[in-house]
Amino acid sequence: MIEVRHLYKTFKVHNRKDVKALVDFSTQVDKGEVVVIIGPSGSGKSTFLRCLNRLEEVDSGEIIIDGQNILEKKVDINKVREELGMVFQHFNLFPHKTVLENVTLSQLIVRKRNKQTAMRIAQELLDKVGIREKENVYPAQLSGGQQQRVAIARALAMQPKIMMFDEATSALDPEMIGEVLDVMKTLAREGMTMLAVTHEMGFAREVSDRVIFMDGGQIVEEGTAEHFFKNPTHDRTKLFLSQIL
Amino acid sequence: MFFNKRSIITLAIVALFLAAAYYFFISKGITYIWHWEKIPEMLFYYGTKSAGETTPGVHLGVLMIGFMLTVKISIIAIIFAIVLGTVVGIARLSSEPVTRAISITFVELVRNTPLLVQIYIIYFFVGSMLRLSALTAGTAALAIFEGAYVGEIVRAGIQSIHKGQMEAARSLGMSYGKAMRYIILPQAFKRIIPPLAGQFISLIKDSSLVSVIALADLMFQGQQAVARTYYAFEIYFTVAALYLVMTFALSMATQYIERRLAVSD
Repeated sequence: MIEVRHLYKTFKVHNRKDVKALVDFSTQVDKGEVVVIIGPSGSGKSTFLRCLNRLEEVDSGEIIIDGQNILEKKVDINKVREELGMVFQHFNLFPHKTVLENVTLSQLIVRKRNKQTAMRIAQELLDKVGIREKENVYPAQLSGGQQQRVAIARALAMQPKIMMFDEATSALDPEMIGEVLDVMKTLAREGMTMLAVTHEMGFAREVSDRVIFMDGGQIVEEGTAEHFFKNPTHDRTKLFLSQIL
Repeated sequence: MFFNKRSIITLAIVALFLAAAYYFFISKGITYIWHWEKIPEMLFYYGTKSAGETTPGVHLGVLMIGFMLTVKISIIAIIFAIVLGTVVGIARLSSEPVTRAISITFVELVRNTPLLVQIYIIYFFVGSMLRLSALTAGTAALAIFEGAYVGEIVRAGIQSIHKGQMEAARSLGMSYGKAMRYIILPQAFKRIIPPLAGQFISLIKDSSLVSVIALADLMFQGQQAVARTYYAFEIYFTVAALYLVMTFALSMATQYIERRLAVSD
């Protein structure tokens, strides 16, 4: 479903050494696969996700989604993004819109659904993430965990083929991580194709098909979650896991 | 509520200040015979407007006629300044170097030359080529001048919105334009209401400069009335008070809008 070939991405930092975020990065993700990406900060995990929907422009390489290289000039990136849901670390809900408006807006103006359909889909999704009763409040009145669940519903409302989670639980208070992970696990079990940057190894163990460990913009090691728990091979991986587990 | 407790206190302070100034004036021993009784008829009068009219009625006096024109000029100029300022502000942040350069040049050129000179240029030079009326030329000059300032305010407003908002909107498939229209600008405008209010208060006061091209606004009518009657003190105090009515109403209106928009905070 997604094939990534030889991706390079360098950030130019004024007056400092360039940061190589992705170095010859290649991987592929199959339909229905749940891939967890772990790694130390600055290892390029988030950059990889952000390159997939071109929030960051890559320097070179190929990203093929459903047979189409999305880095080509003629590609309408907005159409590609409709199929790639993204959930951010800091939720990024629209603060001037109510919960329901957050979930219906892009359905109305991008998917061009009529109001009834958009409302029905939004309310179903808000039910699914367990926050239907808050549909008329503004994001500022919600807790972090609630906001993130709304953000997941907002992304799902576009009915994307792939969902990307960029450290979706990292900014949450500990007692709110569970409620967001539960939603993510449900999605994974329903067969959604998922790419998740996270340090929640419990999530990786329960629902992931594959774990990728990144460092310095490259894949150091990949395998099942069991593999990472039982016998990680690289020293770098062992060191990292000993620090987060 | 449009007039709250705070606005009443403000008015009370203004009244107190005026009373103190008046007392100071008298204590200096300046003898001046006031003719305040001439002022009401410059605001409203009862009678016939023209010779042909038979039934008398209540009509606007000269100052109120000028007041109405100033209101009209100000409202039109504010609307165009918002439109122009939004375009300028967005252009200033464009990824296109040419668009950006045009926007910067416009802002610097307009902001760094006197409005009075611009009014003359637009009226006598542009206006005579395009056959613009004094009203059109004066209003356009005001809108362009204030539009440059509004452009900078709008730019600052857009830049103050966290970039995660644009990213979230784009990740949902919205184009840049849709993201601006539905996500960024509504939040930016809410944030820039206080500086915009200040700018539009300036606009109302700056509009007095259009009197130089014989536009019969409040200032122009005031000057004419002074020339006719020599009641300079009374008339200019009244003119000042009438400007204060406009600007104070605008202040109150923006505070009201701010409170209304605070529901999502």
